Amino acid sequence: MSRVNKKRKPAEDSALRGLISNPDFSRLLILIVMFALTAVLQKNFFALKSIVRNINSFTPLILLTMGQAVVIISGGLDLSVGSALSLLTCVLTSVMREGMPITGAYALVLTFAVAMVIGVINGIGIGYFRIPPVIVTFATSFIWLGIALFLRPTPGGETVDWFQAFYKIGNIENAPASLKAFGDIVPPALILVLIGCVLWWAISRTRTGRYIYAVGSNSESAYETGINTAWVQMQACMINSVFIFLAALFFVGQNGSGDARMGDPLTLKAIAAAVVGGIALTGGRGSVYFALVGALIFSFVSKIIFFANIPNAYQTLFGGVIVIIAIAGSQIYTLSSRRAMEESKLT
Amino acid sequence: MSRLMSIRDNAAFTIINRYKKLIIAFLLILFLFVLGEITVETFFSLGQILLTLKLASFIALFGLCQMVVIAAGGSGLDLSVGYTATITAVFTAAIMDGQNANLWMAVFVALGLGVAIGLANGVLTAYFKLPPLVVTLAMANILQGVINVYTAGKNITGRPSPVLQIIAAKSTGIFPNIVFILIIVTPIVMIIMYKTKLGLKLFGSGSNETAAYLSGVNVKMVRCTAFIFSGTLASLIGLLLIGNMGIAFKDMGSNYVMPSIAAVVVGGVSLTGGDGNYVGVILGSIFLQTLTNLLVALGWGDAGKWTGFGIVLFALLIVYLSSRHRR
Repeated sequence: MSRVNKKRKPAEDSALRGLISNPDFSRLLILIVMFALTAVLQKNFFALKSIVRNINSFTPLILLTMGQAVVIISGGLDLSVGSALSLLTCVLTSVMREGMPITGAYALVLTFAVAMVIGVINGIGIGYFRIPPVIVTFATSFIWLGIALFLRPTPGGETVDWFQAFYKIGNIENAPASLKAFGDIVPPALILVLIGCVLWWAISRTRTGRYIYAVGSNSESAYETGINTAWVQMQACMINSVFIFLAALFFVGQNGSGDARMGDPLTLKAIAAAVVGGIALTGGRGSVYFALVGALIFSFVSKIIFFANIPNAYQTLFGGVIVIIAIAGSQIYTLSSRRAMEESKLT
Repeated sequence: MSRLMSIRDNAAFTIINRYKKLIIAFLLILFLFVLGEITVETFFSLGQILLTLKLASFIALFGLCQMVVIAAGGSGLDLSVGYTATITAVFTAAIMDGQNANLWMAVFVALGLGVAIGLANGVLTAYFKLPPLVVTLAMANILQGVINVYTAGKNITGRPSPVLQIIAAKSTGIFPNIVFILIIVTPIVMIIMYKTKLGLKLFGSGSNETAAYLSGVNVKMVRCTAFIFSGTLASLIGLLLIGNMGIAFKDMGSNYVMPSIAAVVVGGVSLTGGDGNYVGVILGSIFLQTLTNLLVALGWGDAGKWTGFGIVLFALLIVYLSSRHRR
């Protein structure tokens, strides 16, 4: 009996250690801590109004991070997400005419097409020509910026009334009361994030989902086994485009205007949030759902800093510092947890 | 006789092959000038060419920062150069205050800032193995943040010292003085890159990390040093920028980040490291400045400039980088 106990004890111990050094578990733990901290700091955190407000302010980063995660897992990296987002908002607001509801539908179709073209062009560079992703998307980001500036040199533009359905259904004048009530409880932003999750869930069930991981973790062997790696990477870029498209809908619903420079700060945040969520920048590792967790951690940290009463001028500064701390921390953590895992396997 | 001819042809061929990318860059510039002359009247004039050279010099100097970092390999890129220059310009404006006597202090501050920023970039990328692009982009954010804090709620005061203005803005005869700086810098850079041990180490680390390491090169140190050089040079360019403009403002340098990378690519420097012909980078800078002039003359402004730069960079990346392993 005592022998059994003796034998079991180290096993339990290593199980606990395994749980702690399990990156997913500790990420959730960090998220809970950040959540609790924010709940303490923010007044009326659990009131419906502030929950909705928080969801609204987190949504764009969550969507962009999930899209970025897909690209990173496929072995790429997209530096053009920010300017692509700006371009899409400019296209949306250029097509729509106030008081003509049908133009909203045209805008949706056209903008989705533009989003797909963005994905295809990035995909051609990353996948087919195999230019280092970082540099090719750096180049394309300026193409999107330039076109966005052509469309909208200064922020502005028109929208149709029903487009606010992507932000707050209650703002639409002649929406049915039941729909308004529904929108008050379930904010459209949440639905957009859900659409993103369902989209990735559906894709991850298909062959494409597996191929994205295969290509990202070892492009050469994936190619040798007959996978069309270029096409897979292009598909990853197009999935990313869908996420950017969803974020653009939310932005235009919220602001009612397009802005060629609006998305720029989000590029770096999305990459950093993906890294915090455990997406390895080397590709092939990580989960898109945990990218969501990373984005939430990132958003909560920004929120906490906001509550620390730091003046507005410091925001960019702290944004940069957080990114460096986040990626350095993740790097150190990944290395040390891998070492711990190896050690526990050896003993 | 015919054999001799073929040998000579061969020699000519190898020379053309070796300088293929330089020739392409040169032809691209000529093409732009011809296009400009056709579409815009009086595009091809001496004054225009000299102005182009002056403005291209700044891009070329930023391109030097970028080239050294890229040549050191490890997919290095420095996206913080423009912001480093801005922060130096903003800080030293008040120090100089239009007095030559204060220039030494300003140079001292510029060197300190540049080394500190470069060291931070270098340590994080080379020793912590973080992706250079993300680190330098975050550094750019941090620097912009510091500038925002420094300038929050007040005007940036101070003027550059007259010496700086003479170097950066004035001309000797018809030639802008900044061009002479470039003429002095270029041979020094070329000699260091191709004729000294330092250049050999740099290219070695870039082209084959393992081989360089096994032959006793401290690859991490080389890459870190490349970033320190980039930061320091960018900081000194900040002094030239304020000398040229006469005042410092919040985003005076940030617009140079994209052109500095594009100039390196147009100049035919391999982005995978281990290569770096500065003459190519200068040609690339002249090309980009000519393109800007043309687009501005056509009335397309900023939008046209960025779209044009993006498309040129994208197209040349496809031409130069994809040939070997396209799928």
